[in-house]
Amino acid sequence: MDTWSFRNPGFRWTVTALAVFTAAAILVGFVWLPSVHGDFSARGLWDAICRAAGVPASWSSPKDGKAAPGETVVVLERTMTKTAPSDAVGRGATLALNCTMCHGAQGMSASNAPNLAGQYPEVVIKQMLDYKAGHRSSTIMEALARALSEADIRDIAAYYAYLPKARTAPTTYDENLPALVRVGDPLRNIAPCISCHGGVDQKIGTPWIEGMPKEYLVAQLRAFKAGTRRNDAQAQMRNMVRAMTDQEIDDVATFYARKASAGEGH
Amino acid sequence: MLAHFWVAFAAFLGAIVLGEWQMFVRSPLANWVNNPEHYYRSVTAHGTVMAYVLPTLVAMGFGYALSELALKRPLIGLKWAWAGFWLVIAGTAVAAVTMALGKASVLYTFYPPMVGSPFYYIGVVLVVVGSWIWVALMGVNLHAWKKENPGRTVPLAMFGNVAGAYLWAWTSVGAALEILLLILPASLGLVDTINAGLARVFFSWTLHAIVYFWLMPAYIMFYAVVPRAIGGRLYSDTMGRVAFVLFLVFSMPIGIHHLFADPQVGAGFKFVHAAMTAMVSVPTLLTVFTIVASVEIAARLRGGKGLFGWVKALPWDHPMMLAVTFSFIMLGFGGAGGIINMSYQLNETVHNTQWVTGHFHLIFAGAIVIMYFMAAYELWPQLTGCGPLPKGLMKLQLWLWFVGMMVLSMPWHWVGLLGMPRRMAYYDYSHPDIAPQAWTVIASTIGGFILVISAFILVWILASAHRRPKVTPQAFTFSAPTHPVTHTPPLLNGFALWVAMMIGLTLVNYGFPIYQLASLEHASVPVIPIGSR
Repeated sequence: MDTWSFRNPGFRWTVTALAVFTAAAILVGFVWLPSVHGDFSARGLWDAICRAAGVPASWSSPKDGKAAPGETVVVLERTMTKTAPSDAVGRGATLALNCTMCHGAQGMSASNAPNLAGQYPEVVIKQMLDYKAGHRSSTIMEALARALSEADIRDIAAYYAYLPKARTAPTTYDENLPALVRVGDPLRNIAPCISCHGGVDQKIGTPWIEGMPKEYLVAQLRAFKAGTRRNDAQAQMRNMVRAMTDQEIDDVATFYARKASAGEGH
Repeated sequence: MLAHFWVAFAAFLGAIVLGEWQMFVRSPLANWVNNPEHYYRSVTAHGTVMAYVLPTLVAMGFGYALSELALKRPLIGLKWAWAGFWLVIAGTAVAAVTMALGKASVLYTFYPPMVGSPFYYIGVVLVVVGSWIWVALMGVNLHAWKKENPGRTVPLAMFGNVAGAYLWAWTSVGAALEILLLILPASLGLVDTINAGLARVFFSWTLHAIVYFWLMPAYIMFYAVVPRAIGGRLYSDTMGRVAFVLFLVFSMPIGIHHLFADPQVGAGFKFVHAAMTAMVSVPTLLTVFTIVASVEIAARLRGGKGLFGWVKALPWDHPMMLAVTFSFIMLGFGGAGGIINMSYQLNETVHNTQWVTGHFHLIFAGAIVIMYFMAAYELWPQLTGCGPLPKGLMKLQLWLWFVGMMVLSMPWHWVGLLGMPRRMAYYDYSHPDIAPQAWTVIASTIGGFILVISAFILVWILASAHRRPKVTPQAFTFSAPTHPVTHTPPLLNGFALWVAMMIGLTLVNYGFPIYQLASLEHASVPVIPIGSR
């Protein structure tokens, strides 16, 4: 008797049983269960089946489809992190003359603007592109960034990456670090600062914040907390800082602003 | 074969020490780990060794042994077998160095968009390619035997072995596609974004059926060795075949139950996968029934009487009796927990908690790995000519493994229900909300320590066997069924229908989600490189 034939009872029963079982599971999963859910069955059977298959006819209703203003659209590419050739650094240095008023002649701010000396290039590129597109707000920076081309921005980033950092080594683990910096607070879903900002890991797009002016750090953390700054692509900073108290914001800002090198301010 | 087992157990010994270190630093007994990255590096190494290296090498070594012992002919393709072995070794070495350097702390499930060094993935691929050679050799050897013995029934041990091999061949395709099409291009820096949802669906293809690949050697032990070792008969040879082919058909297309919390997969597919997962409990229940019946036969042959009185007559001083009992107890608890995991609604309670860690340690590291130990104990006298192994030490090792595993994993189940997340480098036990859970982590640390002692005893027993004077081993036999096998339905003597069903169900259950996610626009997200700076 041919094994692969419906005349073979073993073959017939096995194949039929599997087909019936599969069909029954599909009917329950795609027709019956969705039919008892209002949001699945609202637009008829076919729409319910599509939703159960993971393909709703429309992904969201027009009401909640409002564009979220201020979210970034910059995709961090690893090419942005590459060390640039010296001609790019030179062009960037010229363009950066425009920046010295606030960010300092050598990228070390004497006012409370962020230090840019030694900043990772992709960080400067991303923030400038966000300013240019209006995804991060600052009257001065938006106006300045709009005037720059993308190539200009890459050159400026190359120049600042080339300058020596305020402090050359990141914070490394040590028992005396403030708890939030060192281990975060697991129960409140706050990750340790050093898991992204250097020390344990340095994630792409995460700025170097060692020796930054305290007022700048506090202002940014508060802006993330209030949701007025929202150009962190995965809302990572907004989620971290949402659960932090004002005192904790002050503490971590004080910590990162501390003991900058002797060159601070100039 | 010996080489496979030795490398497997050497890696196992290293990884178990890492596992215990993880438990210790996470417990209130130690300060918070200095650097959480070290913790995840260790978890990656522990998972990669225990999930890929140990079971693959055991399945390969045991499979070659089964092929020779069950078919009673020398292995065809010995040179290829060595090539496969060295590929596995090379892959393990490459992956191990990458992990040790902290360039791939992505955990063994390597969920994108996290992406580590390409060397890690290349190492994993080499391990898998090495095992594909084994798959091919098992098929070739079975085919050659069938040609020489037309019409004869394939020995059950070899039938299960080849079922496991074919299952692995198809199941590993998912992760292979994920690595080759999605992860490696991102890891090599050719692209900056990755379709993370599609990658997770590909991985789920492998992630669940790999469990049944791990389990096959244990089930072959249950059917083909346990009844003989304790002096009984196998209750039903056909039942064994049915269980193996059911695993082949149903273990594959069910992996989306790992993605119940993933938004990119439709609820309908989640339900279908849950329903098919429920079907996998059928071959396990068949096995439990058949093996308990076989054990009862052994007891009755030894004069056991009464409805339950026969339990007393069992050969309790035999290590195999202890092992199968422990294995079934852990399989029972682990299986019950598994049914909770696969239920679409109940899973919500335990998803990504320590419960899951407890579940797979109990069922894999407990029920299955204890049978790997027995496989080694059974084969050692054959492979080394060392004569019988020390019974007392073996029983001590099995007891410690069982007690250690229960003490390790039961508290995990409990705190999982309370909501303790898995994959955390540390917990704040000073917080009043979780201070009451601190003792459970200490308990698990103690359980882990007992397991480490047991692992060292295992290696000592196996190593000291080499130093004993050589004796000619007795011929290795498999369990005899109660009724001699006179007729096996042709369908249960080959794999064509079952492999066709496995592939067909995969297409039905995975075809659309994969097509839909692959064709979705804007589905890619930026990669998150690990350890790159």
